[in-house]
Amino acid sequence: MTRLLTPLLLVLLLIAPAYAERLVSQMSNESIEITSSFDGERMSFFGMIAPDAGSEQKFVTGPFHVVIVVLGPTQDRVAREKTHNFGIWFNTDQVGFDNFPSYLHVLSSSRLNDISDVTTLTANGILPEAYTLAASTGDWWKSAIFSRELVRLMTEEGLFGVQENGVNFLSDNFYSARLTLPSNAPPGPYIALTYVFQNGDIIARKSEGFSVRKIGFERFVAMAAVQSPLLYGLVCVILALFTGWLGGAIFRR
Amino acid sequence: MQIYLPIAELSVNLFFLVGIGGAVGFLSGLFGVGGGFLLTPLLIFSGVPASVAVASVTGQVVAASTSGALGYYRRGGIDLHLALYLILSGIVGAVGGVAAFALLRDAGQLDLVISVGFLVLLGSVGALMLVESTRSLLKSRKGVVVRERLPNQHNWIHGLPLRVRFKKSRLYISVLPVLLIGLFIGFVGSLLGVGGGFIMVPALVYLLRVPGSIVIGTSLAQVVAMMAATTILHAVQSQSVDIILAFCLMIGGTVGAQFGASAGKQLRGEQLRGLLALLVLAVAIRFGFSLILTPADVFSTAVMGAGK
Repeated sequence: MTRLLTPLLLVLLLIAPAYAERLVSQMSNESIEITSSFDGERMSFFGMIAPDAGSEQKFVTGPFHVVIVVLGPTQDRVAREKTHNFGIWFNTDQVGFDNFPSYLHVLSSSRLNDISDVTTLTANGILPEAYTLAASTGDWWKSAIFSRELVRLMTEEGLFGVQENGVNFLSDNFYSARLTLPSNAPPGPYIALTYVFQNGDIIARKSEGFSVRKIGFERFVAMAAVQSPLLYGLVCVILALFTGWLGGAIFRR
Repeated sequence: MQIYLPIAELSVNLFFLVGIGGAVGFLSGLFGVGGGFLLTPLLIFSGVPASVAVASVTGQVVAASTSGALGYYRRGGIDLHLALYLILSGIVGAVGGVAAFALLRDAGQLDLVISVGFLVLLGSVGALMLVESTRSLLKSRKGVVVRERLPNQHNWIHGLPLRVRFKKSRLYISVLPVLLIGLFIGFVGSLLGVGGGFIMVPALVYLLRVPGSIVIGTSLAQVVAMMAATTILHAVQSQSVDIILAFCLMIGGTVGAQFGASAGKQLRGEQLRGLLALLVLAVAIRFGFSLILTPADVFSTAVMGAGK
C-alpha cells in the first residue's frame, strides 16, 4: 500500500504549484429561446482570473490570454465538389464528416498564434481544423482538401468563425466577450469552453453549457412535424385547401 | 419584419415571402399554371434548403390551384372520371418520386437532376408552345380563321386496348395512356416540386384529344389532388414541409392569383400562351446556364442527419 501511495504523493507534490489561478466566469444567457421573431441573439461572457482557493497568493499576475470556444450540437455533414464532365458541371466527389459541430466560434484576446503553439491549440479543440480531421471519413489527402473547404463554407454561412479580438480585458484579470448567435444557428445543446493562457500554457479552464431551443408555437410545430407527420401533412393540406377556397370566395363576390 | 421558419430553421423577411408568393401567384392566375416551377428555384436562391423548398411549395401549389379548380367545377369544366384515373396513377408516381427525391438527395445528385429535369421539360414544352402560339398569332394577323384541332381526329393512341368511355370528354379511349401520363406527371412533379400543369395540359390536348373546355379544369383538379397527396408524402417521409413558409406563400399566392386571373381576361389566348412560353423558356435557359457555366463555388456542403 505504502509502495503504491508514495509515488502518487510525490507526483501530486510535484505538480501542485505554489501559485495557481482559477477562473470565475458567467454568461448572459443560459438558454436562448427561438420565437417567431427570432433573428439571432447577442450573448456576453464575463470572467475573472482569481487566485486559487488553496493557494497562499493574494493576487494574480498577468498578462493572461483568454480563448472562448463556443460549440453547437453535432451533425453528420458532407462536403461535395463539382467537376466539369461532358460539358456540364455536377458533383463528382464527396467526403462525409460525422459528428461535426454545427456551430463553432472562437473568441480570443489576441492572435491565436501569439497565444500558444498550434499543437496545444489543436489538442484542445481551439482551431476549426481540429474538428474536421477528427470527423472526416475520407482518406488523408481528400480529407485535407475538403476540410479546408468545409471550414470556408461554414464561415461564409456565419456558422464558423475566429474573432481574434473577440475578448477584451477590462483590467489585468477581468475580461468580457460578445458573441452574436445568427438566426440560422441550429437548435440544441451548446458548450462554451473558456481557456486561460499564460506564456503559452493553459493555466485554467472552464466549460459551461447553454441551450438554443424553440419555444411556444415554433416548438409545437417542429414537434408535430416529427412526432405525428401524417396528421401534420393533413393539416397542411386542409390549410391549403381552405386558403385557396377563401381567396376565391372573397374575390368572386 | 423577420419571421422564423421552424422547419427550415432560419428567419426570412415576411414581406419577401408574401411578395414572391404574390408575384408568382399573379403569373399563375394569368396563365393558369401552379407556379411551382418559379417558386421552388426562388426559394432555394434565397437560402431555404432545397428539400424544405420543394416540400413546402407543394403545399402552396394546392392552395394556388384550389380556387381555380372550384371555379371550373361549378361551371362543369371538370371530367371527374378522367381526373380520377389521372389522380390514382399520379399518386403512385408521386410515391416513386418522393422516394427518388430522398435517394438523390443522399447521393448528392438532387441539384443535377432538378436542373436537367427543368431544362429538358421546360425547354421542350416552352419551345413547342412558342412555335404554336406564334403560328396562330401570325395567322390571326393575316385574317385567316384559325381552326381548332377536331377532338374526334384519331391517332395511334386511340387504338390501344382496355378502352373506357369518358362521357364528359366525349372520349372512348384506352386507359393505358391516361395512366402513363398520370404516373409520369406524379413522378416528375413530386421530384421537381412542380404541379405539372404545363405538361398535363399539352398531353391532354395533343395526345388524348380532350376538348378544350374540359382540359384546364381537369388538369387543375388533378394538380390539387396529386399535390395534396405529395404534401402528405413529403411530410411523412422527409418531415421537411414548413407549414409557416407554405402559409406565407399561400396568402401571397391566392391574392396574386385573383389579380392575375382578371388581368388574363385582357389578353387573347395566343398572346397568353406566347408569354407563358417565353417565361417557361427563360427559366429553362437559366437552368441550362447553371449546368454549363463554371459555378461560383465548386464546393458545397449539406447536412445528412443529426450527430450522435
